[in-house]
Amino acid sequence: MKKYNILLVLLIFSILVACSNKPTPETNASEPNDQLTLAIGGEPDDGFDPTTGWGRYGSPLFQSTLLKQNKDMDIGYDVATDYTVSNDGLEWTVTIRQDAKFSDGEALTIDDVIFTYQTAKKAQSVVDLTNVQSMTKMSDYKVTFTLHEPQSTFVYTLQTLGIVPEHAYDENYAENPIGSGPYQLVEWRKGEQLIVKPNPHYYGSQPAFEQLTFLFIAEDQAIAAAKAGELDVVSVPITQANQDFTGMKRVSLRSVDNRGVMLPYLEPTTNGEGEAVGHAVTSDIAIRKAMNYAVDRQAMVEGVLNGEGTVAYSTVDGLPWKNSQVTINDANQAKAEQILNEAGWSRGEDGVFKKNGQRASMTLYYPSEDQMRQSLSLVFADMMNNFGIEVTTEGASWNVIEENMHSHPVMMGWGSHNPVELYSLYHSEMQGIDYYNANYYQNSTVDQYLEQAMHAKSEEVAYQFWQKAQWDGETGMSVRGDAPWVWLVNLNHVYYINEHIDIGNQKVQPHGHGWPITDLITDWTLNE
Amino acid sequence: MRKQLWIPLVLFLFIYSLSIMIQEESITIALTEKNESPSWSHLFGTDWLGRDMFLRTLEGIQLSVTIGFVTALLSTTLGFFLSFIASIHSVLDHIVSWLIDLFLSLPHLITLILISFVLGGGFRGVVIGLMLTHWPVITRVLRAEWLQIQEMPYVQMSKQLGKGFWWRTKHHFLPHLLPQMMVGFTLIFPHAILHEAAITFLGFGLSAEEPAIGVILSESMQYLSSGMWWLAFFPGVTLLVMVVLFQWFANTWKHYIERDRSYETYFNN
Repeated sequence: MKKYNILLVLLIFSILVACSNKPTPETNASEPNDQLTLAIGGEPDDGFDPTTGWGRYGSPLFQSTLLKQNKDMDIGYDVATDYTVSNDGLEWTVTIRQDAKFSDGEALTIDDVIFTYQTAKKAQSVVDLTNVQSMTKMSDYKVTFTLHEPQSTFVYTLQTLGIVPEHAYDENYAENPIGSGPYQLVEWRKGEQLIVKPNPHYYGSQPAFEQLTFLFIAEDQAIAAAKAGELDVVSVPITQANQDFTGMKRVSLRSVDNRGVMLPYLEPTTNGEGEAVGHAVTSDIAIRKAMNYAVDRQAMVEGVLNGEGTVAYSTVDGLPWKNSQVTINDANQAKAEQILNEAGWSRGEDGVFKKNGQRASMTLYYPSEDQMRQSLSLVFADMMNNFGIEVTTEGASWNVIEENMHSHPVMMGWGSHNPVELYSLYHSEMQGIDYYNANYYQNSTVDQYLEQAMHAKSEEVAYQFWQKAQWDGETGMSVRGDAPWVWLVNLNHVYYINEHIDIGNQKVQPHGHGWPITDLITDWTLNE
Repeated sequence: MRKQLWIPLVLFLFIYSLSIMIQEESITIALTEKNESPSWSHLFGTDWLGRDMFLRTLEGIQLSVTIGFVTALLSTTLGFFLSFIASIHSVLDHIVSWLIDLFLSLPHLITLILISFVLGGGFRGVVIGLMLTHWPVITRVLRAEWLQIQEMPYVQMSKQLGKGFWWRTKHHFLPHLLPQMMVGFTLIFPHAILHEAAITFLGFGLSAEEPAIGVILSESMQYLSSGMWWLAFFPGVTLLVMVVLFQWFANTWKHYIERDRSYETYFNN
């Protein structure tokens, strides 16, 4: 008996002391100075090498890109001063500025640009450059990219890939980055913190802060540090968004960081690798549409997200390439019932819809470590069960989900500043590639629009086709068309920021809570 | 003495049968009542989806007790068979003793995590993991008991009189081992419950789907810093109460069984 009592006391004690404190540099949140301390989440595991993916979200800090996306999501210039696209869309000619220097004082030349793109292409990382056939040095400040086929989204690659110096690039570059961006590395202590200071050779205007310290600490620790006044910027999960830190203001940013239920599109079958694909119930368009109409998205935003979010009807809400016609009036069970009745479904004795002996029943998978997705799944299942479609939930690891995602509904999340995501999620060629189009959606008309959008020679034309792919009046991959997804909500990203810091207007935030806020960090200012 | 025995057992069985009566369907999501602190309508408060924590806790208790019962039964059975094997031949006895020493030298929780992880977690993984980690103590006791009885003069005598092995097992060994097994069973039971909650809390045990106490506790960790103490406090205390009740019963019963009752019958008559 005594033994267990001691064990219990030890257990409780160890839980209490589990949150130990790491040393954090002291700054006082109420008194602004030119040094910022930020706790905005996880550190980049792969370090700071743009050719392997650093800088996809937020600012690359150390490097600069050829083009950049401004606040209104229009294209602006960074290292480049001009770019032109040939009539056939295959040749992109970029001219760069002549005054750009790396933080070690060396000049940024066109060779560095070519070297960067070659390295990224060779690395075959998340930076997809397979469509780039060759790069030709036209003059000391001009390069031509030749593509295999026209690609309107190449402009987004030019916006995200930071330029690395050929003379200082080796296998240790990811830990010791040198670039032409606004900041340079002072110290990176892995698992603890990253300290940066302004790059004196930066060609743009000097940033307002003499030093930035990024702390890599757990959410609980970050909140405790913010309470103690040690932080200037802290990101908090939605479940913790009701805090009150003295000297800090609350910023809730709209996002396309969406969550939705992916529904298998095909009848049950197997793919080339023998994996189960398709689902007998969700392959019926009436079921998919009825689920979209029956669900109450606003109730989810209020109930699960505490109002810190927006309803989602597509994966591109709030972005320029979204088709404005694809919203519907949801929480409409009568309409959903009508859709099902017209398709031959009728309620069984237990209230669940039936058709030819097939019960409208399915298992919804969600990653068990993600509490937000768990809550959304449970609430979604609850709403569907109340309506008459039986949904049971199953929390699982990503490994298990990968085995089941072609044949079962899954709670997924996407949201990118690059419209190529629409192609990846809905084009039939992307079926079963990684997590893209894992529900095996296919519609030849949509495929055509997506290809036309990819191969468009201008942004405006591309936008038109992206929108047509969603809904062209007759068909599309949105909820008005084939409805292969039930998009539910976009999660707001909540930050607490020192009230003397003005971060200006922000873009609609992409998937990932944390680094994206650094996107416009060079524009942040201090006010009194 | 009798009271000491019955009060905890009755209380324990009452809570357990209460939890069996809880239907899983009665735990409903009610977003309008979320994050409520304990009140008369929700004794243990509600969670972030408005589910009643009292019902969830009882549901978790039911699962924990069931797992504890199954595990204790399996461990005891395993212990009995191993001690039986040990009694057959001295080489087998060495092997069994070595196995006991091996398992006792490893911390329970670490072996448990390893086994449960290898088996992929879930109900099956946890039960097998608990069974394979909780047998050594009872096996050691049973083995010693068996060896001792084997050497008893009356057992030797019945052997010489031509009684077979199975006859001796039935008439001499089993009656003496049974009380030991029962005591062992009751002592493993609360141990197993706590270990189940611990590895589930650490994420190696039951899946997040199951209404286990360990799952409830680990979920609540996220909400503690926003002041929702009741999410962890009541389920934790309830688990503690169940374990202590059973421990109380087990200890009393152990004393009760271990007494030499030959005198009692003598005095009572």
